[in-house]
Amino acid sequence: MPAMSEKKIRPEDDGRDFANAAWSIPSYLLSGMILYGGAGWLLSEWTGVVAFTPIGLILGVALSVYLVYRKYGR
Amino acid sequence: MSTLTLLAPGDEFKPPGLELFDAAPIISGVAWFTKPVLLALLSSVIVIGFCWSAFGNPKLVPRGVQNVGEMGYMFVRDQVARPFLGKDADRWMGLLLSMFFLVWVWNLMGVIPVLQFPVASHIAFPIVLALSVYVLKIYLGVKHQGVIGYFKNMMFPPGLPKPIYVLLAPIELLSNMIIAPFTHAVRLFANMFAGHIILAFFSLVGFWFLFEKLTPLGAPLGVVGVVMTIAMTGFEMFIQFLQAFLFAMLAAMYIGNSLHADH
Repeated sequence: MPAMSEKKIRPEDDGRDFANAAWSIPSYLLSGMILYGGAGWLLSEWTGVVAFTPIGLILGVALSVYLVYRKYGR
Repeated sequence: MSTLTLLAPGDEFKPPGLELFDAAPIISGVAWFTKPVLLALLSSVIVIGFCWSAFGNPKLVPRGVQNVGEMGYMFVRDQVARPFLGKDADRWMGLLLSMFFLVWVWNLMGVIPVLQFPVASHIAFPIVLALSVYVLKIYLGVKHQGVIGYFKNMMFPPGLPKPIYVLLAPIELLSNMIIAPFTHAVRLFANMFAGHIILAFFSLVGFWFLFEKLTPLGAPLGVVGVVMTIAMTGFEMFIQFLQAFLFAMLAAMYIGNSLHADH
């Protein structure tokens, strides 16, 4: 993995990356919340422990943010 | 609501709602032929006619319609196509330009007097465009990266710690395959839908308090309604352009990501 300074930055790629990131974030956040929030909700339904739903939602958001950060943030 | 009722004794002010979007058939018996369909057809004719007169017989020194057309072309090429498609931009200009112009004209139908109905506020219309882009995106991805390569590049972006892929790959799949095309259509639909309601609401406030039920207390409210209608029409025209731009831009982004995997 090249460091920031070694990374070749072409102006058109730079713009593309930025716009890609900006327009992917909402859809990643939604996906994370739906996927892990949904899984948490299912767990709550089965086990009767309501806490699983918010835990799943927060886990989903955290994972999405992490994904966006690792993909575009460096 | 209660203040509005107080200002207009007798008949109650009723804000416009979903009935704005109920379209009756224009010719009785032909159920599918409604106002939005007519406007969509009209938009296609306008876009085809415009492009024909602008690009059909191009001159080296552009004049008149060709000038305007080339301004639109330059805008789409420099702001939409090139940032996402790079050297492939010119090949996709036909699609992106038609899409941008068509969506823009659809949206503009919302503020053209008499017509006054944004086509995209019926979600079926943006869904058709978004679905076409979706099919194209998957086709191009499979063609250029292979079936396995396409899904591998999509679900396993390089540079992440191995174990975390178990958690992140499903997010990538859901995001790229379902949420992204969904929001592509809904973003355009929701903006046009909400904009149409806002315009209808303020113009109804103006009409109601200045013409239907003119009272000393209600009149200033009616004036506010008229002023807001004018201001919101201007704002709405900006949104209409912006949403057409975004729709074409996202299409370019999806196509670009299918042609070349991220990094």
